[in-house]
This record gives sequence, structure tokens and C-alpha cells, in this order.
Amino acid sequence: MVTPFSASAIVFLPLCGTNVAGLRFRTQDLKTKKHHIPVVDRTPLEPPPVVVVVVGPPKVGKSTLIRCLIKNSTRQKLVEIRGPVTIVSGKKRRLTIIECGCDINTMIDLAKVADLVLMLIDASFGFEMETFEFLNICQIHGFPKIMGVLTHLDTLKNNKQLKKTKKRLKHRFWTEVYQGAKLFYLSGMVHGEYQKQEIHNLGRFISVMKFRPLTWQTSHPYVLADRMEDLTNPEDVRVNPKCDRKVSLYGYLRGAYLKNKSQIHIPGVGDFTVSDVAFLPDPCALPDHQKKRSLNEKEKLIYAPLSGVGGLVYDKDAVYIDLGGSHARQEREEEARPNHELVQSLISAHSTIDAKMASSRVSLFMDSKPLGTEDVENETLFTVPKEEKKMDTRTGRMRRKAVFEDEDGEDGESEEEEEEEEMSMDENGEESDSEEEEEARGEQGGQDLLGQELVLRTCKRLRKATAQATPGELPAFADSDDDLEMSSGDEREAVLEEHMEDAAGEGQTSEEEGGGLVEDSDTEESSGENVPESQAQRIGNKDPELKSMTEEEDVEGLLKEEEDYKEASDFSVDTAGALKWKEDLTQKAAEAFLRQQQSAPSLRKLIYGTVAEDEEDEGKAGGELGGLFRVSRPDKESKRKADALDCSKFPVEAPKDWDLDEVMDSIRDCFVTGNWEADKDAAKLLKDDELYGDFEDLETGTVHKGRPDDQGDEAGSGEEKEAGGGKGTEEAEEKQQQQRMDKKRKLKEMFDAEYDEGDATYFDDLKGEMLRQAQLNRAEFEDQDDETRVQYEGFRPGMYIRVEIEGVPCELVLNFDPHYPVILGGLGNTEGNVGYVQMRLKKHRWYKKILKTRDPLILSLGWRRFQTIPMYYIEDHNGRHRLLKYTPQHMHCGASFWGPITPQGTGCLAIQSVSGTTPDFRIAATGVVLDLDKSIKVVKKLKLIGFPFKIYKNTAFIKGMFTSVLEVARFEGAALRTVSGIRGQIKKALRTPEGAFRATFEDKLLMSDIVFMRTWYPVSLPTFYNPVTSLLKPVGEKDSWTGMKTTGQLRREKGIRLKQNKDSLYKIAALLTALGTVHKHKLKKAKANHRQQVKEHLKVKQKEEEAKLKRQKEAKKKLYRIIGQREKKRQKSSLKGSAGRE
Amino acid sequence: MASHSHSLNYVGCNFLRQRLVLSTLSGRPVKIRKIRAKDDNPGLRDFEANFIRLIDKITNGSRIEINQTGTTLYYQPGLLCGGSLEHDCSPSRSIGYYLESLLCLAPFMKQSLRIVLRGVTNDQVDPSVDVLKATALPLLKIFGIDGEELELKITRRGMPPKGGGEVVFVCPVKKAVKPVQFTDPGKIKRIRGVAYSVRVSPQIANRIVDSARSILNKFLPDIYIYTDHMKGTSSGKSPGFGLSLVAETTNGAFLSAELVSNPQGEGVAVLPEDLGTDCAKLLLEEIYRGGCVDSTNQSLVLLLMTLGQQDVSKVLLGTLSPYRIEFLRHLRSYFQVMFKIEMKPSDEERKGGEKVLMTCVGTGFSNLSKTIK
Repeated sequence: MVTPFSASAIVFLPLCGTNVAGLRFRTQDLKTKKHHIPVVDRTPLEPPPVVVVVVGPPKVGKSTLIRCLIKNSTRQKLVEIRGPVTIVSGKKRRLTIIECGCDINTMIDLAKVADLVLMLIDASFGFEMETFEFLNICQIHGFPKIMGVLTHLDTLKNNKQLKKTKKRLKHRFWTEVYQGAKLFYLSGMVHGEYQKQEIHNLGRFISVMKFRPLTWQTSHPYVLADRMEDLTNPEDVRVNPKCDRKVSLYGYLRGAYLKNKSQIHIPGVGDFTVSDVAFLPDPCALPDHQKKRSLNEKEKLIYAPLSGVGGLVYDKDAVYIDLGGSHARQEREEEARPNHELVQSLISAHSTIDAKMASSRVSLFMDSKPLGTEDVENETLFTVPKEEKKMDTRTGRMRRKAVFEDEDGEDGESEEEEEEEEMSMDENGEESDSEEEEEARGEQGGQDLLGQELVLRTCKRLRKATAQATPGELPAFADSDDDLEMSSGDEREAVLEEHMEDAAGEGQTSEEEGGGLVEDSDTEESSGENVPESQAQRIGNKDPELKSMTEEEDVEGLLKEEEDYKEASDFSVDTAGALKWKEDLTQKAAEAFLRQQQSAPSLRKLIYGTVAEDEEDEGKAGGELGGLFRVSRPDKESKRKADALDCSKFPVEAPKDWDLDEVMDSIRDCFVTGNWEADKDAAKLLKDDELYGDFEDLETGTVHKGRPDDQGDEAGSGEEKEAGGGKGTEEAEEKQQQQRMDKKRKLKEMFDAEYDEGDATYFDDLKGEMLRQAQLNRAEFEDQDDETRVQYEGFRPGMYIRVEIEGVPCELVLNFDPHYPVILGGLGNTEGNVGYVQMRLKKHRWYKKILKTRDPLILSLGWRRFQTIPMYYIEDHNGRHRLLKYTPQHMHCGASFWGPITPQGTGCLAIQSVSGTTPDFRIAATGVVLDLDKSIKVVKKLKLIGFPFKIYKNTAFIKGMFTSVLEVARFEGAALRTVSGIRGQIKKALRTPEGAFRATFEDKLLMSDIVFMRTWYPVSLPTFYNPVTSLLKPVGEKDSWTGMKTTGQLRREKGIRLKQNKDSLYKIAALLTALGTVHKHKLKKAKANHRQQVKEHLKVKQKEEEAKLKRQKEAKKKLYRIIGQREKKRQKSSLKGSAGRE
Repeated sequence: MASHSHSLNYVGCNFLRQRLVLSTLSGRPVKIRKIRAKDDNPGLRDFEANFIRLIDKITNGSRIEINQTGTTLYYQPGLLCGGSLEHDCSPSRSIGYYLESLLCLAPFMKQSLRIVLRGVTNDQVDPSVDVLKATALPLLKIFGIDGEELELKITRRGMPPKGGGEVVFVCPVKKAVKPVQFTDPGKIKRIRGVAYSVRVSPQIANRIVDSARSILNKFLPDIYIYTDHMKGTSSGKSPGFGLSLVAETTNGAFLSAELVSNPQGEGVAVLPEDLGTDCAKLLLEEIYRGGCVDSTNQSLVLLLMTLGQQDVSKVLLGTLSPYRIEFLRHLRSYFQVMFKIEMKPSDEERKGGEKVLMTCVGTGFSNLSKTIK
């Protein structure tokens, strides 16, 4: 069919002006709609596994799906899945899959840590309450990616019905999540598993999925623990089985950086302070970078210690081997094939890690003692039998207890350490000799060789080396400490000398041992007349030596630097003597160099102390200060400093003589009038080198030869200038030409870029800034080893960490159920404290009841779940917070409660009970934190009532409102009102009667008027904060936590009827009497009416009667008359007849 | 709650301000024992008590317990509330003593702080309000704490020993602090200063200016030193004079120096000329130390870096004073933040002493007191 207006015709229709504007407006709108506030991208380079939460009502196929997913990516079949399972699903993607039951506690906890939610929906049944509840929880705690999965589709036989169901469910799902949310269909089962192709597709989808950062998750560190060990001293447990436990929890760190000693919250348990954190080698590492497209079998790792899979398990001070053990046997009874697979996979997994171990050393310890394969093997040999023992006692649990850790844990370790120390002390001399020799050789031979040697060393030696290195470092620390004291007392020179003496001493020892090294320094000594300088070099040489034991990567760089410095000082020595101040400069250079070498690490040590030492001390002082913190400054110093004057000024100890030219010259370049750097100097940029020609020669000469790398630009320019001015060859000319051209081009490019980006918006700028910051964040600590890095940044997300916590309730260990997730949620600085929290709250529209003020309510806020007593209020237009008895039906209201300090803007949800399941929707209300404070200002209305006892014109004396003159005085000038609406004001108190006062009104009162005053009374909020400790409940009863009950519940349980206050009844009584009177009156009226009516009726009746009688009479009369007449007639006729007959 | 278990313990009265300020910001209680326990006059001094009172004023719900002798102090911080306040500072320390701490706390209040501080504005011990005004406020601006409200106004000058000065400090509230990278101080482009004199001849200020200029003119032509002679009620209760100098660099770093005459009745009389030249030399010393932040504000910058977002902040500083070193230790114990400290030797000879490059990752601090609507 052809229509008169074709599409093309419409296109060419002229658009009217408003339409164009409208269109532009719309496009612009759409464009800006896509903008998000740019945030700094803080995702780590090696991200932690993605948390995939599989959620759905019971019997929907969650476990089957997990099993299939695991099988899809690892070729392993887990019979029983407990706790999180971590798998490598792709080259760059790892997954931690965890199942979420229907317990609302679990749902809340997992919604907070989920990156991706697989929401299983039984298509044959449709949506269930759990699904909606979980969606709502997700919405409140940051919306993770949600993917729907429809199962049980094979139960729908009819094709049409199937299509219809799919469509219906899809649209409902879309309205809940977002339009176009992904919904997967798992069409049917084959041998108790989903179809392979579908699972494969699902896996692919998950592997390529992108996630957006969620506010709460990115600002808080958290760990989804996949393993727990009890570290309590067994003796303590024996003496008191209920004693507080010390546990270590393991898992990937996610979210933000975790600092040691910070506070954490374990939902379902409570708040704790981390007593120790250590990072461990990744048990389920991503494959090394390869160009292959797919993973090979060895790289398809799986790690699920709670389910008893994972092969080798490393710990801080132990290694566990999982041999299948009791589980394998159990499985064999059940199924033959999976067991075989499992064992095979275990063996293969073992070899993988083993191979990796062989290729690279891993540092298991906090103090970076690198561990080789040999060591691991030793330890494993040592540990295995003990573990077996424990297995027997602990059958049924998938993670077997580490016996040896408990028994030998602390004692054994310390013994070992002691032994080591002794050994190292004994062998110190020899060891150091040989090592330094090695070192020296390495230096001579080349830096690469050194690195190799270090790598090839056996771990025993390495350990000794570190042991040796630490005592070497300690005196340096002490020295430098003195340093500061001296320098603060202004004796730089003296300090320097002292240093040099020390250094000389050290150097001599090293001279005897390291031949090659000393030769070097000797030659320099002889060439240069500056003794301290060469010593400085020696120190410099020695420093990296010590360091190299632990940080091989740094060695090369350090050595390079050192060489550079050598050259620099060489040169300065050569040229010394030309000027007086220059000699001073060489001295200074040496000084600076020395300080750079010596004090760079030592300033850090000076400020923070050595970490290892710190920890030891902490251990000692543990009992005194609760084992948490200690002042890190040495005692002697503290005594002197403790009571000094608290002043922030930094006085100048040794004022220089600023009248001298040399001294003045030392800061000349700090001013704009001084010389500029090559890249900034306008004069130099213009190539106006004639002016400063002779100076340049001197400067560039020094700098150029000293540090060619750093001063590249300057040196280059200097060189070029030299070439240009001195030789004036053609080549140089050409070069200059070339450079000029380059510069021109660059300038043009810059201009173009600026011109083109004329419409660069604020948004773009902001984005660029964020990007720069992200790059800086990544680059800043990249070159440092993990040990140091951890100290600066804290543990970074993506690390596999072990968190030690003390004082954990024993129930957590005794009643541990791996099906319930243990989450360690890091808290911010003040977030461990409690205070009054104000929220904006709304009753959930699907919740059937309204909420009552002062009824206990369970809130989920931040990481926490807790019970508290909220009070609802509404903000009046003047900012007053007026108490409400109940939440409004369809409106937001405020809620105040005593609870944990949580950042503003955090979402919160409320439930009335976490125990059991109710058919109704469980989420009672949702809200957001607005304000945190240590006091509240919620008020409720209070009406004071009084009665007039004397009335003049507009003045009345009121009594009964107050009890004393003082009270009246407090309320002078307050507004009054009568019930009838006359307004007035309190004027002054009267002597008698007590509490009476004079008041004026706008009109004359009546004696019968009641006067009242509206006041606002501050409400006190009960400071009740009760964390939900659902994880501490016995196994199987974890969903039965009940906290404080409402009075209504209690009354119902105990069968107590509500006792009513008689005063509360007055209104009804009055009403009843009023109603009674009205009723009586009505009745009376009705009666009277009735009587009247009856009377009238009777009257009418009587009249009618009379009329009737009359009529009857009349009729009778008529009748009689007629009868009489007839009689007469008859008589007459008879008379006639008789007469006639007769 | 675990709030009791993580309190910090210290000994001695030194660094009291740091400890209380950090405690307030981190929310961790602090216990300080043996405050001048061996002293003839044990316990807290009046200015310290005054400081604690000030802290109490600007916070809500903090608990302060002091034992009978005043040698032990327990402080459990509340939340910073701010608002419009007045405070009479103790005349034994200058307002700078109090203001330094307020500068650290003011951006993190519930309502923007507007406080009138009365007392000694300039003395020889603490940084004066002039210096703080010229150096600390621009520093706050770098961290994103700006706005029209950020202001420090000296309405009256009061010299020791009697004081009588008055300062109005207004600071806006911020939710979070920006990370900064401030590693290049640039070059000094101008020097400004204030020569003030109260209850002495107004000519003294001019004499100070002349002598100070005579030194500084050798380096830079752009020097302007204001003379500020206050009279009547705005001149406080004691006579005195002084000079504060501030050097501004091309990249917005401010370096300062100051000198005040001896208080009335103490020490020998100081010649204004000497004071001017000495102060100018002090400024040169400060320039020699260098860095992007002058030595009085080092702790402020370190604190704000610590309180930044979870991003890397970098600042180049001059020599670290012992006070800052202690501050760094405190930062570690309160916030578990450790700075990466790199020494930057002065590679060029004519740019002053060695510098220290401080790098840290912020704690992701957010202002928990601020109300959102």
C-alpha cells in the first residue's frame, strides 16, 4: 500500500524553529544523562576474584548450577559445596562462587559483598518472595550486577505456555532490575545437570562481564573468608572450653586497602580489632601471561578449602596438604567416578603449585623470608602425620584442624627462631665473609650475575642472610637516632664526623673481607684528597649489600645510582680548588650524598622504627597495653621529650651569616631572579645562550659529567651549546635547525590540540584529573616489594590475606557452619563508635503493617545487622523534629536511633524479625543515613492546662498550670490559647495561689474557658544497640536469632491484657453520656411523637366510627322505612285483596 | 562495642594538641598519663586546660576525665559540631597555639565554624595569627577547603603579657579532602609582610620595614611590607611590635618568618632595625629549608594528606622538625598511615638545603559530622 506521504517526504519537511531547538535540547539531555560523576579508578591491577552469589528459593537448582559452573571451568565435580569456591574461569577472570540460602541474614550479608548475583527463578512457579526480598536488599546496599536465570523450564510442556511464561517473567524482572537486564534460560536437565552448552554460555557471559564500582564496597576493605583456623592455645581451651578464641581467617581482600590493626566487623558476630594481617601466596592464581587463547588444564585451578578442595594450602607458618582423606573415602562409597576425578585433579593441582614453587620463590613470612621449594618440602614432611591424627577426631568437617600449629605454633616457632639466631650468631662471621665475597665478586662480574646468584641461593642461606642483615641494620638505626638529637642541638658537622667514623670502622671490616670492593675505594681514596667522600662511598656500597639480602630487585638500581655518584664526586674532586666556595660545595655534595645513602632509609627508620623490631616490642609490651599499640619512640628520648614545651615552631638552631655572599648564593636560585631550570627558563628557551655563556660552561660541565641520566635535558642542551658556540660545525647547525623545526611542530600541535578541544568541558577536565590520579596511584609504589608496599598503602585488594583476630566468642568456632558466609568488613576510622544516627526512612510499600515508635527493629546498616529502638519523627516546616507514634503510610519520615556511626548517605533496611520465615514480605522499611550526632533533638507536644479564677476585661488570672513561681517565670511571655480560640500571653506570676499567674488575652474570657499552652518536650532515646549474633547460634538454628521483643509480642505470649489508664477513658465516658442524653432525648421525643400520633389516630378512628354508626343508623332507618312501607303496602293490598276476594 | 579496647596511651604533656586533635578526628580515645608528674607544679597548665575547654566547646558528646592532680587525662572524643562560638584563650600562650589545632579540625565540623578567639595574637613562642593567615589558609585552599567563608580576621591585636587581641576565624565545612601532588615549589616571586606596632610609636613599624627591605632587596625587587599600627581598643593591653614576612612562589607555596619584640618587662629592649634584619634573615633561613610548605604548617599538610581520599598524595617539604617527626608517629598510631620518605638532595647548589619528599595514601576520611539533606 502506498501512502501519499512517504517517509522521505516527511524527512524533507521543514522543521519549525522550536522543534529544532527541542531536538537539540533532547540530544543534549541524552548526552548529559550518560554522564556519571567521574571517580578515581582504584581497581587493582590484579583484581580479586569476582564474587558470584547464587541466590534463589529452595529447590530451584542453586547447587546444581554452581556444580555445573565449576565443572564447566575446571573439569572437577564437587559433591558437596560448602562455603565459597574460587575458580579460575578465564585468562583474566577468577570467580568466587557462593550459594545464598533463604535465611535473611545470609541474604543481607551476601548482597553487601556480591559483585554479580545469579538470581535463580523457578519458571514453573514464578517469582517467589525471596527473590523480591533479595532484589530490595541489593537496591539498598548498592546494586551489584544481577543476572536472572530461569530454571525448571522443562516442566512447561506446552510451547506456547513456555513462551508466555518467559515473556511474563522477563518483563517483571526488567521492571525490578532495569530494562534489558539479562535473563538466562536453562532449558532442561541432562543426567541431573544443566545442558553443557547453556552452562558454557553462562560462563562466557560471566567471564566478560564488566562491573561498576559500588560506593560502599570501594570505600571499605572486606574479606569473604574461605577458611578459618582456631589458633587458641589448646591448654586454655582445655581449662575453659568457653574461653574467647583467637582465630585466623583467610580470604581474598576486596574493596579498599586494609590496614593492620584496624577495626573490622564480622556480620553476625561483632566488632573486633585486627591483631595481625599477613599476605599469603595466591592459592588460586591467574595464569601467567601467555599468548594462548584458552587455559590449559593445569591452569584451571579451584580453591575451596571449606569444601575440602585446593590441594596445598599455605599458611603464615605452616603448609597444609589436602589428600582427599576421609571425604574421598566417603565419596568412593557413593560414587566411583567423581572420586577418581577428584583424586586426579588433586594430584594435578599439587604438581602445578609445586612446579610454580620450583620456578619462583615465595615469601610466606611477614618479614620477607623467602622460602624455597626445599623448605616447603621439609615442612610438609613434618606436618603431615600430625594432621592425619587430627583427622580422626574431626571427621565430618571438611577442613581439618591444624594440630601442629596449635601444639608447636608459638613455642615451636620461637624455638626455631632462636635456633636460627644462634646458628646465625655462630656462623655469622663465616657466613658474612663468604657472602660479602660473593657480593664483591658479583659486583665485579656484573650486576646481572649478582641477581642470578641471589636467586640460586638455597633458602637456608637466605634466611641466615636476613638474620645477619638485621643486626647489621640495627646499629645504624641507633646511630641515626642520635643523629637527630645532635642535629637538633645543632651539631651537624660533628654528627657527620661521627658517622664517618662509624662508617670507617665498618669499611675497614669490609676491607679485610671484600677484596675487590676495597680495591675500588682505595684507588679513589688515593686519587681524591677527600677522605670522607670515599668513606661515604663505602657506606654506600655497604648499604646495598645489606639490603640485597632481602631486596634483590633494588640492587641493580642502587648500584647504578652509586656509580653515578662516584662519577659525580670524582669530577668535583678534580675541579676542586678553582674557587673557595666550590670546595665547600664538594664537601656539601659529599655530605648530601652521604645523607641520601645513609639517611634515606634511616630517616624512615628514625621516624617509624624498624617494623620487625616494633613487632617484637609489641609482643613484650602486649600485656600492658592490651597488646595493640605502643609508643614507637625509644624510652630515653621519651623521658626527655615527654614534658617539653608543646610548640610547633621549628626554630633555627644555627643562623647562617646571611651577609656573606656565599651564603646568599646558596638560595639565589629560589627566587625568580635566579637561574631557572633548562626546561623552564625563558631565556634558554629562546636560545639566548650568549648572555650566560661562561656560567653555563661551568654548570653544565659539573652536572653533565656527574649525572648524565637525570640531567639529560640540561646536559644535552649544554653539549649542543658547546658544539654550537665552540666548534660551529655544520652538523651542529643542522641539528639546531632540526631541533627548531621540532619545537615548532610541537608548538603547533599543542595549539591545535588546544584549539580543537575548545569545547573541553569541566567534565572532561575532571575526568582527566581522575585519570591522572589513578595512574599516579598505580605507579607510585609499583617498584617496591610487597613487604614495604604493604606498610605504606596497607594490604591492597586482590591479595590473599590471613587475618588474625583475638577475643572471638567460642561459639563462632564451635558452631561454625560453612554454609553461612563469614565476612570481615573493614570499618573506617570513626565507624567503630556508637552515637545517635538520624535517617530518612520509609515504610516499604509491600510491608503490611506500619511501624511503631520505640518498637525494637533490626536494621542492616553498613556491614552491620543490629537491633535497636528507633523513634520516628517528622520535620516541621520550622525545622522542629516532632515525634510520631507510627510511621506514615506512604511518606518518608525521620528515624533516630542509637547505633553505629556510619557515613552519611549509607543505605539501610529494617526488618522486624530475622528468625523463621513468614509468608509476607519481610523488609519493613528502607532508609538512608542523614546525620550523626551525640545528642538528639526530637520533641513531642505537651499541653499544659489551666483555669481562670478571676477575670477582668482582657486580663485573667489563671491557676492550675504551674506549681511554683519559678516555673511561671520560666514561661513568661509564652503564648496561651483557650479552647474557644482566644489567644493570649503569660504576663507575671502571682504570689498566691502558688503557680498562678496573670495573663492577657485578645478578648474577655469566660469562667468556663479552659486555657492551655502548647509546649515541646524533648524525648530521650533509649541507648539500645544489640548486634545480631546469628553466626553464634548452634548449627541448624542460625536463622532463629531473636533479640528484644516488642511489648505487644510479650503480651501476646504471656497472655497479659492491656491495662487501660482510667484517665485515658475520660473522653469515651463523656462521649457516652453525651450520646446517652441525646439518645434519651431522641427516645422521649419519639415517644411524645408517637403518643401524639396515636391520639390523632384514635381521634380519626373515633370520627370514622361515629360516621360509620351514623351511616348505619341512616341505612337502618332507610331500611326500616322501606320495610315499613312495604308492610304498609302489603297490608293495604291484603286488605284490598281480602276485600276483593272477599 | 570495641570502643574501649582501642584507646591509645601516652606519657607526658608534650604534643598534647596533636594527640587530642588526632583523637578527635580518628574517633579513638586517648589516655595521657604522667603530665608533668615530676614537676614542682604538676599537672595540666592553665593554657592546656583552656585548650581542653576549647575542644569541649567545638565537640558534642566528648568525655574528658582529668584526675585530681591533673597528671592524667582521658579523652573520649565526640563529634565535631562547630557553629558560632567565642573563646577566651589563656594569655600564657598566643592564639596561634589554639588556632593551629582549630585549622586541623575546622573543615570537619557539622556546621561551619565561626569562632571569636580572644587573647594574645602575637608572641615569641607560637606562630602568630598573621603568619597563619598568610600561610595556612592558602594551604587549606590547595586541599579543596575554600569558599568565601574561609577567613581569618584580626580585629584587635594583643601583645603579651596581657593580651587583649581578638581574631575571628571562619571556616567552611567539607565532606572530603582532595589529594594533592605538590612537589615543585616554584620560585619566589614576591615577598609580603606585616610590620605591626601597638601602644608604641607608629614610626617603629616604618623602621622595621626599612631594615627588612635592606636585606631582602638583594634577592628580589617585589617586596611590600604593610605597616599596621593599631590604636585605641584594637591595640590590646600591652605594648609591643613585630614583623611577619611571607614569601610567595610562582606555584603558590608560602614560606614565612616572624619575629616579635620582647614582652613588656621581660628581657632587653629590641631595636626595630635589628628586629627587621633578623626577621628578614629568618625568612632567608626558611627559604633555605625550602619545600612547598613552610615549617609551621608541616603538620597541617601532613594531616590533610592523611585525611585525603584513598589516593596518593605527594608533598615536598623542607627539613622535618622533631615536632613533625613525632606527628608522623602519631599519624601512624592513630590512622595506620605510614609516609614514604625520600630525601631529595639539593642537586643544584643554589636552591637551599635538602628537601624531603613525603608520599602517602590517604585513609579515605570523610566528614562524619556533616549533615546531608
